[in-house]
Amino acid sequence: MQARGRGPRRAGARRVVAGSLAVLCAAAVAACGQRLPDHSPEELGGQGEITGDIRLSWWGSGTRNERTNAVADIFEADHPGVRVSRETADFGNYFKRLNVQGAGRNMPCVTQLQARTLGDFTARDVLLPLDPMIESGAIDVSDIPDAVLDTGRGADGKLYMLPTGAAYDALLVNETLAREADAPLPEPGYDWDDYIDFLSQAADGLPEGIPATSLRGGLPNFFIAYVQGLGEEMFSGDALGFSEELLIGYWEMWEEIRARGLANSPTANAEEPPSPEASYVASGDVLSDNRPGNALTPIQGTLDGQGQGHRMTSLPLPSGPAGSGNVLIASGLSIPRNCDNVPTAAAFIDFWANDPRSGDTYASDNGAVTNTTLLRRQLDDPDLPDLKKRELALYQRIVADDPPNVVYPPGYLAVFESAFTRAYQDVAFGHQTVPEAVDTFFAEANAGLAR
Amino acid sequence: MSTTSAPPRPRRLLFGNRPTRSRLLRGLAKHSVMIVTLTLMLYPLLWMFGASLRPDNQVFNTLGLWTGDLTWDNYADGWAGGGQLNFSRFFFNSLTITVLSIVGNLIACALTAYAFARLEFRFKKPLFALVIGTLLLPYHVTLVPQYILFNQLDWVGTVLPLVVPKFMATDAFFIFLMVQFIRALPPSLDDAARLDGCGHWGIFWRVVIPLSVPALGTTALFTFINTWNDFLGPMLYLTEPDAWTVSQGLATFLDATGQSAYGSLFAMSTLSLVPVLAFFIAAQKLLVEGIATSGLK
Amino acid sequence: MKKNDTGPDGGRTQVLPPPPPTPQGRPPAGPRRRSRRASSENRAAFAFLTPWLIGMLVFTLGPMLFSLYLAFTRYDLSGAPEWVGFANFERMFTTDPRYLDSVSVTLTYVAWSVPLLLAVSLGLAMLLNRGLRFLTGYRALFYLPSLIGGSVAVAALWRQIFGEEGIVNKALALVGIEHTSWIGDPDSALYTIVILQVWTFGSAMVIFLAGLRQVPQELYDAASVDGAGALRRFRSVTLPMLSPLIFFNLLLSVVNAFQAFTSAYVVSNGSGGPSDSTLFYTLYLYEQGFAQLNMGYAAAMAWVLVLGLALFTGCLFLSSRYWVHYGDER
Repeated sequence: MQARGRGPRRAGARRVVAGSLAVLCAAAVAACGQRLPDHSPEELGGQGEITGDIRLSWWGSGTRNERTNAVADIFEADHPGVRVSRETADFGNYFKRLNVQGAGRNMPCVTQLQARTLGDFTARDVLLPLDPMIESGAIDVSDIPDAVLDTGRGADGKLYMLPTGAAYDALLVNETLAREADAPLPEPGYDWDDYIDFLSQAADGLPEGIPATSLRGGLPNFFIAYVQGLGEEMFSGDALGFSEELLIGYWEMWEEIRARGLANSPTANAEEPPSPEASYVASGDVLSDNRPGNALTPIQGTLDGQGQGHRMTSLPLPSGPAGSGNVLIASGLSIPRNCDNVPTAAAFIDFWANDPRSGDTYASDNGAVTNTTLLRRQLDDPDLPDLKKRELALYQRIVADDPPNVVYPPGYLAVFESAFTRAYQDVAFGHQTVPEAVDTFFAEANAGLAR
Repeated sequence: MSTTSAPPRPRRLLFGNRPTRSRLLRGLAKHSVMIVTLTLMLYPLLWMFGASLRPDNQVFNTLGLWTGDLTWDNYADGWAGGGQLNFSRFFFNSLTITVLSIVGNLIACALTAYAFARLEFRFKKPLFALVIGTLLLPYHVTLVPQYILFNQLDWVGTVLPLVVPKFMATDAFFIFLMVQFIRALPPSLDDAARLDGCGHWGIFWRVVIPLSVPALGTTALFTFINTWNDFLGPMLYLTEPDAWTVSQGLATFLDATGQSAYGSLFAMSTLSLVPVLAFFIAAQKLLVEGIATSGLK
Repeated sequence: MKKNDTGPDGGRTQVLPPPPPTPQGRPPAGPRRRSRRASSENRAAFAFLTPWLIGMLVFTLGPMLFSLYLAFTRYDLSGAPEWVGFANFERMFTTDPRYLDSVSVTLTYVAWSVPLLLAVSLGLAMLLNRGLRFLTGYRALFYLPSLIGGSVAVAALWRQIFGEEGIVNKALALVGIEHTSWIGDPDSALYTIVILQVWTFGSAMVIFLAGLRQVPQELYDAASVDGAGALRRFRSVTLPMLSPLIFFNLLLSVVNAFQAFTSAYVVSNGSGGPSDSTLFYTLYLYEQGFAQLNMGYAAAMAWVLVLGLALFTGCLFLSSRYWVHYGDER
C-alpha cells in the first residue's frame, strides 16, 4: 500500500475529529452528571401513595424464585396500581450486576442484600436509611428481635437493611455413617477438642476412602465460629480484629486434622462444586461438613438418590471458652438512594416482613424468617416439611444462645473471604508454612479492607 | 509481485490414480481415526445427555453414559423453568436477539470490511489500527461506561443495547475476518466488473458479496454462537424474566446458596445446543461448499 | 448511505479515458488520475464506513477513552473517580504479587494453548476438507463441543473428566496409575483449561475449512503432476494459500488466549483457584473491578494488556509481509 496524495479532504477530517470530541464530551457528561432523585421528607419517611412501578431484585434459583414471585404477586393483588418487576440471578453474578447498576445509579427500588455485603454499599452511601420509615410507621419492626435487627445497621448505627431471613452455618453429619462407625454425635455445647475427638473416633470405624470431614481450614464461616468461641473480635473497624497468633493456632489445628488423615485431600477439596447437592457430604463421600443450615434439605435429597438410606443431621458449630461460636448471617431488603418510588418500596418491605401470607408463601427459603410471629406460624404449620422444621428449630436454639453480631467491613466477601481461602490453600498444598501464609493473609486482607 | 504459491507449469503425467484397494484401506483407516477421536471428544457431551435422562438426585452417580432408570422428567421440569415463565419464552427471546444480531453483523461488517479490503482512502491505516485496537481491550473495562451510556439512553431493560451496536459493526473480530477473506479474492474480478460499468457499490454487491458467501456464513455462524451463549450482556440489560435468554434461564438452575437442579440444567443445556447445531448443519453448505461452485479460479 | 449513489459515477468517469486499467497494470496510473480516482474512492470508502464510524464514535470510543481515564484514577463504581496519576501502574509492578502471578499464568496458557489450538484445528480442517464420505456429518460432530462454549454446565462436565473420580483417573487406574484430581491440583489445573480451550477448536477449524475451499483444486493437481508428495503440496500450496487465514487465526487466538476468561471463570467458579493456579489476567482484572471495586486499577490492568498486545500484533503485522500472501497483491 503506497501513500495516497494528500488531497482536499482536510476539512472532512477536521469535521470527523470535532464530531468525535463532541460525542466524547457527551459521554463524559453522561457518566459524571447522573442525577439522583431529590426525596422530600415525606418520601424519606416512606409516606405517600402506594402506586406505580418498583423493581425487586434477589439472588437464588428454582424454588426461591417461585416463592419470591408468589409473594410479589400477592402484593400486586393487594395494590392494584402497583407493578413489581422482578430481577434475579445466582449469588455470584447478582452482586456483580448490582455493582454495575450502582455505577449507573440504576439499582432496583427493593434490593436484597446480605449483612456480609452490606458494608460494600453503605461505605459508598448508595442506600437510604430506613429509620425514618420505621418512625413514621411505614415499616413495622416490632416483631423482629433487636439483636437480629442490628445485623442490618451500618457503621453509623443507622438501619440500611431490614433483615428478613437469618441463616446460620451448621455442622452437618451423616448420622448413618457415624452410627456404623460407632462414633456418638458430639453433645450439645461441645468444643473444638470434642469435635476433633469425634472426627478421630469416627475415622477409626469409617470405611476406607471416606474421610471424617471435608477439609475446611479455608472456610471463613468456620473460622468466625472459632474466633467467637474465644470471645475475640473478627474486625475492628476496617482492619482485622484478631491476632496473627490466633490464626496460626487455628490453621495449625487444621494441619493436625489433615496430618491425622481425618480430612479429605486439598485437591479433592479444591474441585468440590459450590452447590450443596453436588458436595461430597451429599454423595456420602465424607462423614461431616460445615454448611449453611438450609443445605440440609438439598443434601438429604442427593443422599436419598444414592438409595442407601443415609440420614443427615445438623448440629450447632463447636463452642469455645467464651460460649457458642454460631453467628447469624442475615439477609434483608434495602432501598437505594436512586429509588424514585420510596413509598411503594417501603410498603413492599413492610408487607414482606410482616404479612402472614408472605411468611407462609416464602417459608423461610433464605434463612429463618426473622419475624417471630411468622416463625411461630411456620413451626406450627403441619404441612411444613420435616427437614425445614429441623432447620428452623436449630435456628431457634442458636438464637436462644444470644449469638454475637459481627459487623462485616466493606470488601468482606471479595477481599477477606477470597484471601482467607487462598492462604489456607497455599498451606495445604505446601506452598507456604502456616506462619508465612498468615503473614501474607494479614498483609493482603488489611491492605484490601483499608481501601 | 507474483505469489510464491504460483503453480509450477504442468509437466508430463507420470502416475495415474492409485490402486483402488489401497484407497479403500486408507479410507477405512481414516474413518476409524475419525470415530475414535470423535468418541473421545464427544464423551463429555454424551455424558451430559445421559445425565439429563437420570432422576435429578442420581445425576452424578455414574461416569457411564446410561443407567437403568431413564426419565424425561428433567426435560419437563427444566422446560417449565420455575415460575410463570418457561423455556419456550427464553428460546424465543434468544432467537430474536440472535437473528437481529446476525442481520446487523452481516450488513455492517460486510460494508466496513469491503472498504478496508478493497478501497484506498485517507486515514486507512490508522482507522484499521483502531479496528484492531478495539479487539485488544478486554471488554470488562468498557462494561461500566457502556452501561452508564445505555442507562442514559434509557435502553436498559430492552434488547437495544445488545442489538443496535451490531448494526454499527462494533464487533471488530468480524470486520477483520471479512477483510482477510475479501483480500484473498483476486482483484481481477473487480477490474472486470469495473469494465462492465460497475461502481464501488456494484462491485461490492455483485462481485464481492457473492464470492464472500463462506465469510458471510462464518460470520453468521459465529454471531449465532456468540449471541446464543452470551450471558453477561443479557444479565446486565435484560433483567426481567420475561426478557430472559436461554443462557440466563440455564444459570437459574444453579445457586450456591439455595437449591440447584443439575438434572434440569443438563437437560436444557442439551436442548440449547439444538438450534446452534441445526444452524451449523444448514449453514455448512454455504460455509464450505459455496465457494466451490462460484467459479473462482 | 446516499453517497453510495455517487460511487458508480465516480467509478465510471474514471474508467472512461482510455486505456482502461488492466489487471496487470502496474504502476496504476499517472498522479493526476490517481488523485481523482482517490478522491472518488475516498468518498465511497467513507460511505461504506458510515455505520462503523457511528458505532465507533458512539458505542466504542467513548467507553474506551473513559476506561483510559479511569486507569489513572481510583473509582469504586460510585461517586466520582479520583485522580491518582500513575499509582495504579506502580502498584501493579511493585506491591501486587498476585498481578505478576496472573501474568505468568496467562503467558503459560498462551504458550500452550495457541500452538495446540492452531495445529489441531488446521489438521482437522485438512482431514475434513474433502475425500471422505459422511464429511458433513463429521464436521458437525467435531464442531459440537465448540457450541457449548462457556455454559455453566461445562464446570460439571470437566469434573467428570479430570476430577478425582473422573474418567481420566479411572482409565489411569486400569493401567495401575493412581492420580489425584487434575482440576484440584495447582500443578495441573491450568492444563485442564488448556485442553478445554483446544476442545473447542471448532471456530478456528471452520475458518480454515472455508479457506481451504478457496484453494483452487488446479493448484494441487498441478503440484501432483509435478511429482510433489503430500508434504510438499502442503508446504508449497496449502500453507501459502491459507496464510491470510493462518495469520488471522494466529492473531485472534493469541488475543483470545491473553483475554481468556470464561473457561477459567466457569471451571474455578470465578476464584482462579486452586491456589491462584488459574488466575488468568482478565479473571484477576474482573475480580479487582467488579468484586473488590477497584475499577481504576482494573482499567489500568486492561491498558497494560492493550499495550502488550499492541506490541505483539504490531510485530505480527510487520512479519506478515514476509509470510502472508494475499490474492490482491500483484
